Amino acid sequence: MTNFFLQALAEVGTPSVLGLIVIGVLFGIIGGSIPGFTVTMAILVVFPFTFAMDPVSGVSLMVGVFVGGYSGGIVSGVMLGIPGTPSSITTVYDGYPMAQKGEPGRALGIGVASSFLGTIISVAVLVFFGPLIANFSMNFRPWEITALIVFALTLVAGLSSGALLKGLMAAALGLLITTVGYDRNSNLRFDFGLPAMGSGFEILPVMIGIFAFSQLLGNIEKLKDEKSETKKIDTNVTIPYGQIIKDMAGQKLNTLRSSLIGSLVGALPGTGGTVANFLSYDQAKKFSRRPEEFGTGIPSGIVASEASNSAVAGGAFVPTLALGIPGDLPMAIMMGVLILHGITPGPMMFEQNPVLVGAIYASLLIGAVVMVLCNLLLVRWFAKISLIPQQILVPVVLMLCAIGAYALNNNLFDIWVLFIFGIIGYLLWKAEVPLTPLILGVVLGDNLERQLFRALELNESWLTFLTRPLSALFLALAVASILFSLYQDRKIQRLRTAAQRENV
Amino acid sequence: MLTLTKDRALALALLLIVAVMWVESGSIAPPTSWQPYGSALFPRILLVVIGIFSLLILVRSLLVKVPERPGAKQLIGEWFQSRRTILALFLLFGLYAALLPVVGYIAATIGFLVTSLALLMGVDSRRKWLINLTLSCSLAIIIFVVFRYGLNVWLP
Repeated sequence: MTNFFLQALAEVGTPSVLGLIVIGVLFGIIGGSIPGFTVTMAILVVFPFTFAMDPVSGVSLMVGVFVGGYSGGIVSGVMLGIPGTPSSITTVYDGYPMAQKGEPGRALGIGVASSFLGTIISVAVLVFFGPLIANFSMNFRPWEITALIVFALTLVAGLSSGALLKGLMAAALGLLITTVGYDRNSNLRFDFGLPAMGSGFEILPVMIGIFAFSQLLGNIEKLKDEKSETKKIDTNVTIPYGQIIKDMAGQKLNTLRSSLIGSLVGALPGTGGTVANFLSYDQAKKFSRRPEEFGTGIPSGIVASEASNSAVAGGAFVPTLALGIPGDLPMAIMMGVLILHGITPGPMMFEQNPVLVGAIYASLLIGAVVMVLCNLLLVRWFAKISLIPQQILVPVVLMLCAIGAYALNNNLFDIWVLFIFGIIGYLLWKAEVPLTPLILGVVLGDNLERQLFRALELNESWLTFLTRPLSALFLALAVASILFSLYQDRKIQRLRTAAQRENV
Repeated sequence: MLTLTKDRALALALLLIVAVMWVESGSIAPPTSWQPYGSALFPRILLVVIGIFSLLILVRSLLVKVPERPGAKQLIGEWFQSRRTILALFLLFGLYAALLPVVGYIAATIGFLVTSLALLMGVDSRRKWLINLTLSCSLAIIIFVVFRYGLNVWLP
């Protein structure tokens, strides 16, 4: 372990890779601080730049964006009162009031320190649990992997609040997209007579199309609906270092609890920073002796929020690296980066590419340090950049998406794929279909088909999926997650009906 | 007459896709002795799953009472009217994709950025035009230089 980590550290420690981590962190913070841009969008924009890089450089750049992105919401949350990303909504609850009381530097400092500690603790979780889970999953055969993928998809679909049917349908649609082109037996499927369709759709343009278009054009629609007022902010911020050290000294337990919640939530499929954020804030409030003070601008609220959402970064790597199953959108894209560089995430990665795994650990740690320095030194600039209007951002990002799709294979067909899936993604978003299960379906489709038929070739009985204990357990969990979501849907429906009756 | 809602439109569109793809799956090579499951089985399982979910969405949407609204034709017309900017952006992007191989990356990108920024920011002041042109030209060139010389990626 120490050996490969030192080797990885030597590779990540070169000036060029360190430079890439700094660029990644800077871009991540900027992406995270612009309201409506999100960490996922920042990752998608940077992704094409990794094509020409070696795996360690590409992964380090992306990890930098991750770490920066999850902390980027602090700036706009504290200075503007607008969460830069959904995962920093609760940062606003206490960060903004503290800034309004004349202590923006203190709020930012506490946020940055908590983000740093959250990331470090989550790396510890990753280093400890990643190899353990990978070791355990080495025993998985095709039946278990198939059942695990089905479970991950149903879990993600079920978490699409109030839209279980659409979530499940979206996951199946995502899987169907991967069946276009030549299959494992070299048989052509669904090419509709178009030669370009023979090689199927690349994951990247499909993912970008579905996610980026719906989000960017959605932002434009919101702008038209809301006619938001222009905010003016005072960017003259001084960080009171002594006060922050004092504040953080009183938040040891809160920091640890929030970071562990973030790591755990990050490791669960379909959850991510937003869930971690709310869960951790709620727990901090419940454990506090003065819960009534939450929301008035206290350090505990900022710590709970920022430590948890930053800890998601390390936690989310656990299932991606150990099982080859990404839990959320940013991780699905990260998995795309690894696949693009010829690396298959999964238990074998720890044996076959230990240096790359070590490089991820090292990049997370270095990224956390860079994130603190960037946030403290450049906060004024980030606050200014976070005011870039969507009217400028949308065309620029769309152009970058097109160039990214093209650069993948120097193939113009990929831009058309991006465009078509952009339209599909936008229409599905308008029809309130959750897009995360769809994208996860696209990422996991090939593997699911391969494992399913490998299992059937080894034993033609479908019942084997139920007679093998772990496979049966995963399938039972899949059914349980659907039943639980049905129960939740009904509960939401009942509450809505009751609220409507009260209004009448 | 039934009102066209989001869910009904979604379910009908999906059922249509399922039908078209089911027919198309007939042209996939059939199973053989060494490929007993064939290549059509997996997509057909998915098509059945999507079909069932679409039907459930349709049935559920029919069980909910919705107020009488204008016909589908008028609704679609209104929808297009209220989303002119979005439609124009899609159109500009399609045009950009079509023009890239014809006029090359720099001209097509500057064209796309200038028109879409003008569409979103407006063209009512000299300052906006200045921001628009400066941003479009500089960004197109910077991206070209980064990809061509930094990453060794040839743009069209």
